Amino acid sequence: MNDPYSVLGVSPSATDDEIKKAYRELARKYHPDNYHDNPLADLAQEKMKEINEAYDTILKSREAGAGSRGQGGASGSYGGYTGYTRATGGSPEFNRIRTEINAGNLEYAEQLLNASQTRNAEWHFLMGSLCYRKGWLDDARRYFQIAVSMEPGNREYAQAMELINRGPAYTPYGYNYSPNAVGCSTCDICSAFICADLCCNCF
Amino acid sequence: MFGYIRPLKDELKVREFEQFKACYCGLCRALKKEYGQFSRFLLTYDFTFLAMLLWDGREEPKTVSARCPASPVRRKTACELSPVLARCAGYSVILSWWKLKDTVDDEGFFTSLKDRFLLLFYKRQYKKASRLYPDFKEAVSENLSALRQLEGQPGATMDACADRFARITRAMAADAAQPEIRRPLEQLLYHTGRFIYLLDALDDLPEDVARGRFNPLVGRFDPEGGRLSEKDSAALKETLEHSGRLIGAAFELLPVGAWTEILKNIIYLGMPQALNRVFAGTGDVNRRRRRAKH
Repeated sequence: MNDPYSVLGVSPSATDDEIKKAYRELARKYHPDNYHDNPLADLAQEKMKEINEAYDTILKSREAGAGSRGQGGASGSYGGYTGYTRATGGSPEFNRIRTEINAGNLEYAEQLLNASQTRNAEWHFLMGSLCYRKGWLDDARRYFQIAVSMEPGNREYAQAMELINRGPAYTPYGYNYSPNAVGCSTCDICSAFICADLCCNCF
Repeated sequence: MFGYIRPLKDELKVREFEQFKACYCGLCRALKKEYGQFSRFLLTYDFTFLAMLLWDGREEPKTVSARCPASPVRRKTACELSPVLARCAGYSVILSWWKLKDTVDDEGFFTSLKDRFLLLFYKRQYKKASRLYPDFKEAVSENLSALRQLEGQPGATMDACADRFARITRAMAADAAQPEIRRPLEQLLYHTGRFIYLLDALDDLPEDVARGRFNPLVGRFDPEGGRLSEKDSAALKETLEHSGRLIGAAFELLPVGAWTEILKNIIYLGMPQALNRVFAGTGDVNRRRRRAKH
């Protein structure tokens, strides 16, 4: 395994709090919610595992080293990737299509869906899932919408709709774009440069 | 080619901005070295982004001091020529040539006279690039002709059209050997292509509607006089922002490299800014100038 400190991106001399903070940020980044129905979910899961292991290793070694200093922060690792199994119970035909979609055999799943005779809510839902994985987000949304309106009580469809409205939520700390936050005119930049230049010449 | 993919300069560190400029200059030099002086006109921010994304290694990029025809007095700092820069130069020659060809096929003989000339002019460069990168050339020609067919089909959704362009940008990742790097790169580039294609469609919408040209948004929405209603505009923005977030999710799975901080700025700040500008109707400056001429 890699050095646990470099996995978390901290130096071995970092305090417990710094390590916890770095761990939290990484866990937020690779959280299953950000990779829901994403074909890259397996890679994110792998990262999450690596981070959890690194965090646990560091905590354990520090507890062992510092005796009584081991604080409550242990066992704080996120479990994570469980939300991927879906409720089943539909027709065998659709269950098979679900399996194909989850396995990433999108072309084959599409063939099966197009060949299917039924056009019920589940068909639209599966079509939506397929489109989402292909990256056809607008089509996916419209299929989910039809599924929800055909069967408003279904939790799975409602959840899919909610997810597509939200999308992955992660943005790195300090990188939230807001159109009005940029308060720096060209003039400011020029004067800043002039000042900076003056300073430089003094040295 | 489109210029939507660039950093939000105000949020870059000065050092990062200098590095970004060096990469831009490096790509320009690669274009000149591989495809001659006039290929420098094909230089774009989009391909600078690609170069940083496909960059090899984590070390600080090596730079050289170089002369620049656009600023003859002052020497510029540019990244050293490298296989990645040469590859990006080749890709940009191939894609630009096909874009010209697309315009020529679209328009009448006289309106596209200039593009017709350019097409002949860049023919030799195009041949060289397609000899070096045959797979990419194949991806471009195949998907663009499929796109052309889709444009004639009434049932084609805007996602189906965007898919063809996105497949082209995704093909730029094909060279990455390890799957754990190639797969995130492919998703990142696929959604970057989708983002560019649909944003460009919105930017062109008034002109396309006025001139009766194909636009993928027309089939999906019902733009009156080339403008989307508030509801349609919100739906389009949402789906593009979703692509943006999938780009971010894919980006976070890539290993940290020499350009990570600048790429982060482009993905999380620069692209939302481009989106907001086009939705506010203050899109690309060059484009507006071009429009004013028509």
